[in-house]
Amino acid sequence: MAVADFAPGAVAEPQDEPHATGLRDDAFRERMAMLGLCSPALLLVLVVLVSPVAWLFWLSFLANDGSLSLEHYERMIASKSYARIFWTTFQVSTLTTMLCILIGYPLAYFLSQLPPRAAAICLITVLLPFWTSLLVRTYAWLVLLQRKGLLNNWAIELGLWDEPVKLVHNMTGTLIGMTHIMLPFLVLPVYGAMKSIDRDYLKAASNLGASPVSAFWQVFFPLSLPGLFAGALIVFVLCLGFFVTPVVLGGGKVIMVSMRITDNIELFFNWGAASALGVVLLALTMGTLYAASRLLRLDRILGEGNG
Amino acid sequence: MAVTETVPRSEALPITIRRVTKTYGQVFALDHVDLDVKSGEFLTLLGPSGSGKTTLLMALAGFTRPDHGSVSFGDTEVVRMPPHKRDVGMVFQNYALFPHMTVAANVAFPLKLRKVAKAEARERAERALETVQLGGYGERQIDQLSGGQRQRVALARAIVFEPRILLMDEPLSALDKKLREHMQIELRHLHEQLGMTTVYVTHDQREALTMSDRIAVINHGRLMQLDEPRRLYDRPANRFVADFIGEGTFLPVELSNGSAAYAGTPLKLAEAVNETAAQELLLRPERLSVLAGAAEPEVNVFAGKVKELVFQGESFLMYAALADGAEVAVRGATNRDVMERIPAVGADVHLGLHRDDTVLVAAGED
Amino acid sequence: MKRRTFTVATAAVAVLGLSATTALSQELNIVSWGGSYQDAQSKAIFQPVAEKMGITVKEDSYGGISDVRLQVQAGAVTIDIFDTGSGGGARGGAEGILEPLDYTMIDVSNFVPGTYQDHCVGTITFSTVFAYNTETYSDPANAPKTWADFWDVEKFPGTRSMRSKFWGSLEPALMADGVPMDQVYKVLDSEEGIERAINKIRELKPHIAVWWKSGAQHAQMMKDGEVDMTTGWNGRFDVAIKDGAKAAYSYDGATLDYDCFGIPKGAPNKDLAMKFLAEASKASYQANMPQYITYGPTNRDAYDLGVIDPETATRLPSHPDNAANQLVIDNAWYAKWEQHASQLYQDMLTE
Ligand SMILES: Nc1ncnc2c1ncn2[C@@H]1O[C@H](COP(=O)(O)OP(=O)(O)OP(=O)(O)O)[C@@H](O)[C@H]1O
Ligand SMILES: [Mg+2]
Repeated sequence: MAVADFAPGAVAEPQDEPHATGLRDDAFRERMAMLGLCSPALLLVLVVLVSPVAWLFWLSFLANDGSLSLEHYERMIASKSYARIFWTTFQVSTLTTMLCILIGYPLAYFLSQLPPRAAAICLITVLLPFWTSLLVRTYAWLVLLQRKGLLNNWAIELGLWDEPVKLVHNMTGTLIGMTHIMLPFLVLPVYGAMKSIDRDYLKAASNLGASPVSAFWQVFFPLSLPGLFAGALIVFVLCLGFFVTPVVLGGGKVIMVSMRITDNIELFFNWGAASALGVVLLALTMGTLYAASRLLRLDRILGEGNG
Repeated sequence: MAVTETVPRSEALPITIRRVTKTYGQVFALDHVDLDVKSGEFLTLLGPSGSGKTTLLMALAGFTRPDHGSVSFGDTEVVRMPPHKRDVGMVFQNYALFPHMTVAANVAFPLKLRKVAKAEARERAERALETVQLGGYGERQIDQLSGGQRQRVALARAIVFEPRILLMDEPLSALDKKLREHMQIELRHLHEQLGMTTVYVTHDQREALTMSDRIAVINHGRLMQLDEPRRLYDRPANRFVADFIGEGTFLPVELSNGSAAYAGTPLKLAEAVNETAAQELLLRPERLSVLAGAAEPEVNVFAGKVKELVFQGESFLMYAALADGAEVAVRGATNRDVMERIPAVGADVHLGLHRDDTVLVAAGED
Repeated sequence: MKRRTFTVATAAVAVLGLSATTALSQELNIVSWGGSYQDAQSKAIFQPVAEKMGITVKEDSYGGISDVRLQVQAGAVTIDIFDTGSGGGARGGAEGILEPLDYTMIDVSNFVPGTYQDHCVGTITFSTVFAYNTETYSDPANAPKTWADFWDVEKFPGTRSMRSKFWGSLEPALMADGVPMDQVYKVLDSEEGIERAINKIRELKPHIAVWWKSGAQHAQMMKDGEVDMTTGWNGRFDVAIKDGAKAAYSYDGATLDYDCFGIPKGAPNKDLAMKFLAEASKASYQANMPQYITYGPTNRDAYDLGVIDPETATRLPSHPDNAANQLVIDNAWYAKWEQHASQLYQDMLTE
């Protein structure tokens, strides 16, 4: 809306609408004051978030000699490995998110049903991994899962299997490690959402004839969905940029975009090649999120339709 | 308010509660409660905060598991039956409408669970909404409704599956005074129309008196008195009930072989004296009258001095000190002849109480 | 931590400008890789040379040639001398961010051939070898010796590991494919040659359990028995073996590479740095390195001084007996082909 619309005294007041312009001016001034209050924060966001992305974008169009060029994007099309790396990245992120949901949702549900003290203690155990370094946690998995690691040794001793099973240095190990690290990011928002669900809703459902199972699926689960979406989104986006865990547990077979970005800086001695990867990842992520949000909104409408 | 005759009358069931007890640590939330709710009646549980009303209602709905006792709906013992099998309608204090469903979906929810065909469910939900005067509101979201509308949706949801018992826990407490009074009458009409056995919880005595067929007064988890509103008011069983419902001043009385006397003067009583317990005389302010001349023979007379006089518009309130210093309140309508009779502050006054209103109550331990 | 001090120092010097650097002209700022490697360098070379020249040497760790590039491009150079891999030296030289070295001052006459270049003078040598698990292949008479053995999964069944980057991976592939050592770079100097090497690796790919990313990783894998054979750096394997790893390796067909010292273009004490490198390249200093870490000197005279004990000497990559059987890394080839080769390697990896 144009600022001029609100300019003080611009319009003569009709008799039957006293103070119409004055009130509109007040509203305008209030909004401007609000903007003024927000501007430091907005500026910070601009500087901290927007400008690096803009810079990244700019760099991705610069050739080694500083001239404008599309060479970094052309390379991504020419070399087959890039498409595969993006595919792997999304595959790993999606699978990790799904695993986190499968494990984290029941876990959060269990926690939300505990009495407050017990829940607090259990939550701390869920959060404990946050206090140890990512690298340590990842290497701990390596020690557990490798060919002559604890798990294989025990299993062979117990006669569960005869030959070491490949649990790490592949997709399996990567997913195990990433799920473990990402789990708290899913559990926390889901737990929060579950805790905020009024117990009376479940009582009401039960009173209306819902067995515990149908009360869960028809009332509790839909009400916990916003938390689940938030958690899944956090996990998914964090996974897209993950580096350490796939490097250590993927055995070089699970190559994600972040790894290629560091390789490209090393190989091409120039930020452009890496920036272009960042730009494409950003664009694909936004596209995925947009598609997901469309899909989920549709879901909700459908859910209400047959409710 | 006209109520559409759409939802068919369901067959009501009586409720029998026997020795139901629930303790939380040392606290008796319910203390050996015996209560019979008649088929089709509107019974209110009335009591102060923390008296155990909700606990009793939840025991009926199946959400509170008593320590012991028996609850039957008709001939069926239900005390160990899970809530979802009890088939009772319930309106929660905060309504507990599902925020992720539309109004129609909320109301159709119990029908869906009962595997009612979609088209029929939709029709019955709409009819239930019409019953509570919310026809056409089906597509609204819950957060687009006012408090009173939510209350009605909750009601529609509780009656749509034609339960034979309806439970309500302070369903009107969130509404403002005007709407509350309006809804009280509406609920009453609805009950008359649907005829299901209704147990209603409130701690508002006026609401209880307005709506109920019978009122069960509860205190400290114990049933104090179960009676019709009029009788509860006129013949309270004990000082607690008398005090909780309406106003009153209590005077000590002397009991001797079947009669009672106050300050040496024998009292003409409405009912025979129950001498098994200590008794007190209940004086309700509006039952006392200011006497002009000689009293009629059926009237007890109390002499005192006017201490304070307050004009309150449609009524006046007078505080009088009796000979022994006890202070009693008198309330009366401000019609001309009454006002003319009222002496000035400090003057002598004679207060009359008709024999039928002269009631002794068991002295309370409270 | 060290990186932080380094950045702060950069900023400080940038503010103080040139006047500050003249005042500190008898001081050199040297950066290297940190850790046990730099500890060894400090004791064997940096501090003794500084003492001999009567100057002070300030040491720091750094993140590699890209840090040098950043400083040169920003025109705020604080580094006088840095340690880099031979590839980084070659690349920096080609980019023009390094000072050319004055080989009239620095005596490389008895260096292992190919371990010095225009902008970077070698200081230690290391080899890319393959190590094998001595429990899996327990008969010493029948142990894997050649790259062909590394590729032969029938004669030597077991899991393999190779580097996740193409550096040092294509040469072994060609040797395994029957190319004589002295022909390797000639064959590789064409798209077909590179294709041939990549195809050879593709052939082994199903047996490669891990594509390693760091020296620590391949050493650990040998120690834990995660794979039965892996390529890797000799120094790391020595540490693992000392640590109890059941592993062995030989220098036959290994590629010999080296780390070198360079001077950034516009270094504050360029002339002093040149003198320092002339001194530091002498055999007497290099001979002291192996007692701290098992990397070999680039100056072959170091073996004749009697400082390195004979047992250790025969185990070093640049010992004449070992060097003779190795292929010295060709940085010119890397400069020419690395982007192409790297891309094909990545394609192969992600297939
Ligand atoms: N879950 C519980 N744990 C412990 N004590 C409880 C619990 N629920 C109720 N009580 C106690 O039981 C007694 C009866 O509670 P109840 O909720 O039935 O009262 P109420 O009559 O409904 O009161 P209000 O009018 O305030 O709703 C109170 O003393 C209360 O503190
Ligand atoms: Mg209550």
